[in-house]
Amino acid sequence: MVFDVFFLQQVINGLSIGCVYALMAIGFTLIFGVLNVVNFAHGEVYTIGAFVGLMVITAMAPPLLAVVPLVLAVGAVSGVGLERIAFRPFRRFTDEASQKSRAMREATLLSSLAVSIVTREIMMHIFGGDMQGIPSGYLLQQPVAIGPIMVASGSLVIFATSAVMLGALQFLLYRTQTGLGIRAVSNNQLGARYVGINTDRTIVTTFAVGSMLGATAGILVGLYDGAISPHMGFAPGVKAFVAMVMGGLSSIPGAVACALLLGVSESIATEFLSSGWKDLITYSLLVITLVFFPQGLFGHGRERA
Amino acid sequence: MRKNAILGAVLGAMLVTGTAVQAADREIVIGYQAPLSGDRSQYGEMFRNAAQIKLEEFNASGKLTGAKVAITFEDSKDDPKEARNIAHKFLDNSKIVGVIGDFSSTVSMAAGEIYAAEKMPQLSQTASHPDFTKLSPWQFRNITTQAFEGPYNADWIIAAGMKTAAVIYIQNDWGISALDGFVSGFKAKGGKITATEAFNPGNRDFRSILTKVARQKPDVIYLAMFYEEGAAFAQQREQLGIKIPLYGTSSLYSPKLIELGRESVEGLHLATTFTPDNPDPAVQTFVKEYAARFKSEPGMFAAQAYDAVGIMLDAVAKAGPSVTRESLRDALAATTGYPGVTGATSFDPVTREPAKALAKMMVKDGRFQVVTGP
Repeated sequence: MVFDVFFLQQVINGLSIGCVYALMAIGFTLIFGVLNVVNFAHGEVYTIGAFVGLMVITAMAPPLLAVVPLVLAVGAVSGVGLERIAFRPFRRFTDEASQKSRAMREATLLSSLAVSIVTREIMMHIFGGDMQGIPSGYLLQQPVAIGPIMVASGSLVIFATSAVMLGALQFLLYRTQTGLGIRAVSNNQLGARYVGINTDRTIVTTFAVGSMLGATAGILVGLYDGAISPHMGFAPGVKAFVAMVMGGLSSIPGAVACALLLGVSESIATEFLSSGWKDLITYSLLVITLVFFPQGLFGHGRERA
Repeated sequence: MRKNAILGAVLGAMLVTGTAVQAADREIVIGYQAPLSGDRSQYGEMFRNAAQIKLEEFNASGKLTGAKVAITFEDSKDDPKEARNIAHKFLDNSKIVGVIGDFSSTVSMAAGEIYAAEKMPQLSQTASHPDFTKLSPWQFRNITTQAFEGPYNADWIIAAGMKTAAVIYIQNDWGISALDGFVSGFKAKGGKITATEAFNPGNRDFRSILTKVARQKPDVIYLAMFYEEGAAFAQQREQLGIKIPLYGTSSLYSPKLIELGRESVEGLHLATTFTPDNPDPAVQTFVKEYAARFKSEPGMFAAQAYDAVGIMLDAVAKAGPSVTRESLRDALAATTGYPGVTGATSFDPVTREPAKALAKMMVKDGRFQVVTGP
């Protein structure tokens, strides 16, 4: 094994796939940070983004930049709808005991899983289980040569989008009133309510923002991958989840860093092992992190209410 | 369900009138078990359509004098329990001398155990599990397995002057059988395997495998996978600027491969049993007749059933009007060079595995085209 140009190419391949995981992990982690529960339907929001994007592209053939705001809007709507169906009913009791009840909160784990299954089956029913091709004019697959290294244009777009999303989210969270509200709810939902923050509205906003990011991720990855299917959200969803846990559950920059780490590790591992083993690398890293850094690599060790 | 009932009634009426007119002739019946309702009913439907065409052709051809052949269909629902019930029913009918079906390997083998014990020849158009024909000397199949296709493709690649190959295969039973078939065939012909790389089902990113494989500069990359992955693989190969030619298993043969892969799959080679574009007159007659009757182009599955029925009926003709289950089995085992639409088919008398001349294809100008020569 030598550190030649092929090795460098592997690192770049790994960063590309890591960016795909990161794109999904950002929205995932944002929602987790506020509610402290996993939103299992995030993968379906991602898939909805891809399918709506494809439908718009095939129906109207708009320029790519016009597709993005539309997908953002669809993402926001599905996020709000998801919150209404799967999360809000479990917050209808406002007494302190219910607010602190883990059982109430964790019931949403299953309700979001249920919404995810129902959504996926409906999409299967409408679109069929087959892969759907993307019209060639929209594909983000042109090879870009950087010296001897080849990168797909989609990788650059996804990298740039992840960076912009990360930056915008950090701005939203740390420089705006809304962000302050989100951080307050994330820190202590009951406390936030006591000091007069409209927690319901903050949670809805978080879902809208997180799902906008998820839906955009879906269409971009679809254009990069060249094909979409109702199952496309599952595999990156699992990797995004692992990245989130490794990153310390509620740290968005941590999740992004861990997503890139996962991508590069998988890619380099292919050099030494059969690529059939690459999931082993991912889960080994997860186990090692949890054993040696129970708070995650970037966790703050905050109190879990 | 209602459609099935009507079709059954029509078939039944045909049978009754058939026997009434030719009262002197012996009536020979072939049992056909296939999923005609449920999830897999589209396959059973295609089998029945193709079987009807073949049966009428046969009865009109005069290959068999002194007897009339009919096919009776039973719905196995792709369920092993149903298949066993059907097997007993067919065995109890003394007019039935042979059985075609079932669709999946699991169901075919469930019924096959009973046919093996009770000595009824069984020919499946699609059961590709290696153990199916190992059940007993009474099981036959009309579909080639990777143990046949792999060495066939290996010969083709060697004949084209390429000596080193990397194999990328899907990590499941089928993928491993495809890998074994190709690697043993390729090594036997003096080829060298530079790498074998598995990927997990559902994987969409092949860049790291491609980069790893390209380092060793093989003459060819052999793909044992399905069209979704094949299209993604070809696209990513193009993005990475890798020019190594691609060969693949027949599982890649689908219009979807080109729809998804576009220019990136240009030049991909594969060998397949059936293609509606094959200029062979037998294929064209079948395609036209099928399209005229059923308003759709026949696919691989319809073609497999059409040939399975043809092989069975020719064996009946060879055994003569006094055919028995034993003599039909022997006639089936002696099948050589049956001129079907899925290639000339011969059964190995010992293993009862089919050998076929496959159609060599490549993607050219955005569609699959038959290749002549190496």
